[in-house]
Amino acid sequence: MTAVTTPVNTPAAPPGTPPAKARTRARRGPRWRRTALPYLLLAPALVTFGVFKAYPIVDSLLLSFTTGNGSAGHADGLANYRRLLDDPLFWTALRNTGEMLVVQVPLMLALALLMAVAINSALVRWRTVWRLGIFMPAVTGLVATGVMFSFLLRTEDGAVNRLLEAVGLPAVDWLGQPFWARMSVVLVLSWHYTGYNAVIYLAGLQSIPRELYEAAMVDGAGAVRRFTAITVPALRPLLLFTVVLSTIGTLQLFDEPYVLTGGGPDNATLTVSMYLYQNGFRYFDFGYASAIAYALTLLVSVLGAVQMRLMGERDR
Amino acid sequence: MSHLSRRDLLRASGAGLLALAAGGALAACDSASGGASGGDADTGTVTVWSWATAALALRGVVPAFEKDNPGIKVDVQDIGNPAIWDKITVGLAAGGQGLGDVLHIGCDYLPGYLEKFPGGLADLSAFGADAHRDKFAKGLWPVVTGKDGHAYALPWEANPLGFFYRKDCFDKAGIDPTTFATWDDLIAVADRFKAANPGISLLGINKAANPDPDLDFVQNLMQLQGAFYFDLQGKITLGSEPAARALTVLKRLDDTGLVADAPGAHGWADLMKTGKLAVAPMPSWAAHYLEAKFADQSGTWRLTKPPAVTPGGKRAALVNSTHLAVAASSPRRRAAWKFVEYALTRPASVNSMFTAGGVFPALTTAYADPMYAAPSAYYGGQSVLKTFADLATDGGDATNFTGDYARALKLASDAQTKVFLKGADPAAVLRDAAKQLAQQTGRTIA
Amino acid sequence: MRLSTLRGWPLTFLLAAVTGLSIAPFTWMLLSTTRKDTEIFDWPPSPVPGDSLGDNLHRLDRRIGLLRVLGNSLLVAGVQTVGALVVALLAGYAFAKFRFRGRTLLFGVLLSTLVVPEQVMLVPLFKMMMNFGLLDTYQALILPGLCVPFAIFLMRQSLSGLPDELLDAARVDGAGEFRVLWSVVVPVMRPVLAALAIFLFLGSWNQFVWPLVALRSPEMHTLPVALATLQGNQNTTDYGAILAGTALSTLPMMVLFLVLQRQFISGLLAGATKG
Repeated sequence: MTAVTTPVNTPAAPPGTPPAKARTRARRGPRWRRTALPYLLLAPALVTFGVFKAYPIVDSLLLSFTTGNGSAGHADGLANYRRLLDDPLFWTALRNTGEMLVVQVPLMLALALLMAVAINSALVRWRTVWRLGIFMPAVTGLVATGVMFSFLLRTEDGAVNRLLEAVGLPAVDWLGQPFWARMSVVLVLSWHYTGYNAVIYLAGLQSIPRELYEAAMVDGAGAVRRFTAITVPALRPLLLFTVVLSTIGTLQLFDEPYVLTGGGPDNATLTVSMYLYQNGFRYFDFGYASAIAYALTLLVSVLGAVQMRLMGERDR
Repeated sequence: MSHLSRRDLLRASGAGLLALAAGGALAACDSASGGASGGDADTGTVTVWSWATAALALRGVVPAFEKDNPGIKVDVQDIGNPAIWDKITVGLAAGGQGLGDVLHIGCDYLPGYLEKFPGGLADLSAFGADAHRDKFAKGLWPVVTGKDGHAYALPWEANPLGFFYRKDCFDKAGIDPTTFATWDDLIAVADRFKAANPGISLLGINKAANPDPDLDFVQNLMQLQGAFYFDLQGKITLGSEPAARALTVLKRLDDTGLVADAPGAHGWADLMKTGKLAVAPMPSWAAHYLEAKFADQSGTWRLTKPPAVTPGGKRAALVNSTHLAVAASSPRRRAAWKFVEYALTRPASVNSMFTAGGVFPALTTAYADPMYAAPSAYYGGQSVLKTFADLATDGGDATNFTGDYARALKLASDAQTKVFLKGADPAAVLRDAAKQLAQQTGRTIA
Repeated sequence: MRLSTLRGWPLTFLLAAVTGLSIAPFTWMLLSTTRKDTEIFDWPPSPVPGDSLGDNLHRLDRRIGLLRVLGNSLLVAGVQTVGALVVALLAGYAFAKFRFRGRTLLFGVLLSTLVVPEQVMLVPLFKMMMNFGLLDTYQALILPGLCVPFAIFLMRQSLSGLPDELLDAARVDGAGEFRVLWSVVVPVMRPVLAALAIFLFLGSWNQFVWPLVALRSPEMHTLPVALATLQGNQNTTDYGAILAGTALSTLPMMVLFLVLQRQFISGLLAGATKG
């Protein structure tokens, strides 16, 4: 039905242009050069990839099969993975991560979609201001985020609690109570990335031809119907993209708990990535840290694949 | 013309990356094959790794040492703390490459290094270190000896636990802390203290342990009972009775409402600065620290022995210590040892370092110096150093930090947080923590 | 017309509220940067800047060596951005415009690394750098950031939209491949490259955990690492200096974004829209 051509920031090529063909270079130069050229172009990427990505990944995978730490590591099959299954902290971390995922991703993306639809509405003024404003948090780095919010969320004299008190609500021990610490992480995470996702949706929305909506209105479709029948299908590729990326991001969540809570209190905000970091760099237990990482990788891959399947399938 | 050079540039960048990768691989081979083996030369330049004021203090000893030991030069480097731990760890992991000759190592790292990097530190017994064993405060020698009974470091700094208190606050309530025999005595007068000092707490603790564990108090109470997370054999004692007693004391103190929350990295200092804390159960290094940091509270603080945990129990503990060790990879181990021996076993050098860098000495023969008896105006004319010297002479039981201290600390911290936030039962949470520690480390529970 | 403007107000109000929440932390931070430590937590916060900006910056400088640290950050982010851009451009061009054995496989392998948590690479990277003798050097920070799979993905997506006719025309004129790349592809792709450059620079400027692990000496610190040491130091409660540093680390990126927002957003979109 509504096939949507989303805007591409490149010198516009007609959407139907077939991908580049090798035919163009058939007439040119000696054969070895033609075959070697793409590899030559790829060489820097492949070398840096091989040395600084592939090698570390393979190395850490191997490392996950060794136990012991410091210089006294030795190969020990699946011991680390077995240990993982019996490690209550790992399960705590997994549960925390899962809970934050289930709460945070849908809420954030729904809010982002709402923002995008609002900004895109014909009724709204000063769109550039809103777009700029909500996107701003996305440029903030981890340390800056941590500093700002650890000040703002202070119990006694932090601005957030002062604000709550000003409107008659009780102050909250944001970083000191397990439940609120988790809320803090979720809120800061959402603060950080809602605008980013909204801007992506917004661009998608702007590429939907207004005529579609007008035609639908003529047919008597209400606002909700127009949203579900036109907007959502048109945005599906973008929704998939953001859902998958946000899921990966939240499953690998590290920054916010690292700077805000250190995984505490009492491991309430311990995520899998935090736990992996602690094992590697606090306890120098690199083998175990790697096993945690690969358990997480497996999880991310499976969940990503499931999402692609669920959301992508309907496209066909 | 110009496009040609650009093309070359592109090519060069690719080639450069390849060369870089190849060079890297070569370097990797190098380090794999060439483990540092070390030697026993007794001349040359000895490099010392230390941090902050301790480095400064060590530098003060160098001129006299060089004069007495021609042929040896000493270069003291301030690596910074905590950077020094990563550096030593990395160096030991790399087979001793790039380490200094003499290393300043804390008691929380030394056992781990001995355990995880066997052969990384030089055997000092071979140089006659054992002759000095009785000169140091009791309880320190086991920390520096390895499983083979040989010494791998000499003690430098010792930190006996003290009990600093705000005399003005306690006076207001008509309480004299020097009469406390046990912590229960303090808990018993808590209500009286509170009534006389609204808004002032006894202790300040980072209850949510954010960003770091705040376990000194509980740990110290365990040490007062001669206990720790591990026993001397390395078995887990985190779930033991002394541990539960320590955490219970804290819980009961907290129940009186006199343990303030000190959130964040600066929480405790903030509370102190605003005069909201009346007790600082801290070791000897705090004598200088309090004076320098909270100068405006001059005259209000006093020091006494820490109360015992159980009636009739010990009232002294060496809560931590630092040491000088020699890297096994050093080509001039004998020269390095000579410096260590010179700096740490002579009262004159140890005391000059105490004056210069505030490092309270482990060498008990050093306490005869008159400066220990001198009264301090900040502490209302009390000679606090004398108190600490006495406490250090009494010594303490050896504490075995092991190579798994960081894990034990984290688990103990989680247990403490459970007690603070959920009112959990200290004995139960510590037993759970001990179980987890066993599961994580493969150690057995004692 | 009148009616619809009226109906727009609730939406506008909602947007204003969310935008306010988005930028309030920045506003608070920037204002606090101009205050004394004792005034930072005053309530209600004054909307007027204080007069301690200079003091705070001065103390910050004394603690971390501001110029050196800023220089480190700029150097690392700059070199890494240019390097990663070149790597991504070349690779993206190869993937988009050439057919060769292993193309799909290689591209798949590159992208698949997105699911591996970054922290797992810290340990092997650390060991590698240790073996290379590169710990505590600029190289240690720059090299691992040269291959950015996401950037390659983005370049491929954008380049595949480039008409072949454009390239063919240049080739017919006898230009070599690198010349085609340099004088045809690069100029046309300038907006995408600009977007990608900002994106990469932002990532590099803000990178924290790897530098924290790989660096040792204070004179090598980048701004985020230096800030973290300030924050973690028990003996100091110098909020003014910390906030000044935080503002310094955020402000350049905000300005960069304000100036180049169009490219920035389109750069983010290039990856999202052509999955």
